[in-house]
Amino acid sequence: MGERIFFAIAAFGAIASAVTVITVRNPFRAAVALIVALLSIAVVFLLQRAPFVAMIQVIVYAGAIVVLFLFVIAYLGDHPPTLGPDPLARYQVLAWLAIIGLGIEGFLALANSHLPGIDANPYEVSDIGSPTAIGNAFISTFSVAFEATSLVLLVAAIGAVLLARRAVLGERGR
Amino acid sequence: MTPTLISHHTTTGVPLSWYLALSGVLFLLGLLGVLTRRNPLLLLLAVELMLNSANIALVGFSRYWNVSDGQIFALVVMVVAAAEVVIGLGLIVAVYRQRLALDVDALSRLKG
Repeated sequence: MGERIFFAIAAFGAIASAVTVITVRNPFRAAVALIVALLSIAVVFLLQRAPFVAMIQVIVYAGAIVVLFLFVIAYLGDHPPTLGPDPLARYQVLAWLAIIGLGIEGFLALANSHLPGIDANPYEVSDIGSPTAIGNAFISTFSVAFEATSLVLLVAAIGAVLLARRAVLGERGR
Repeated sequence: MTPTLISHHTTTGVPLSWYLALSGVLFLLGLLGVLTRRNPLLLLLAVELMLNSANIALVGFSRYWNVSDGQIFALVVMVVAAAEVVIGLGLIVAVYRQRLALDVDALSRLKG
């Protein structure tokens, strides 16, 4: 019972802050709301017996990635260029239709699922989420994926450097 | 390694369907943000929400099948998200330095 109460609190926090992220106009406030959402999701990861993923979520996501966001928001300034009226406003109803359709589809898929024990209390788990288990899986079963992530990060770093160089060259080195 | 339900003892906890429902709701909220926002910074924040909702489902299935695979997948998703944020923010800064409007609807032409 206790776990379900924790889940309800974390889920409420995640959904409320997600609504804030997609409705508030100020990017700074949206980024802070995203931090709250990410921390709530870290609590959900803890409930799912994944302490290592929860730790990485706090350190890398709520720490590094959102700080990068806040840095860029501070760099661009507090006053974004004023946008005129949305020329595509009449198409927003299509977005809502897509969301409602997908929501109904997901609800039906979940309600008609025949996965055993999907609505019941979960099974006991062995040691699957500790740093030891994750590290063993990374260097044995998923070693190719592990090397591929390093390649992805390298390509992203090179891409960021090239983008910055182009921007500086575009302003003739100012 | 085939996923097997090793233990058949249940504990009082949160059922898998609750996690999947939370994941779906967060995904739809993020998708709504991506479809309706115009500021590219807010767009990227909404994409982060979508990636995180997928992680909830992955880790939930990892707990359901009692294997680490889903958690490994979630960690790889986080790496991809970090790379995506770096490139996305680099593009936003490049657009800003060219003194163009920060509006994804206005940035509709590709030209080298």
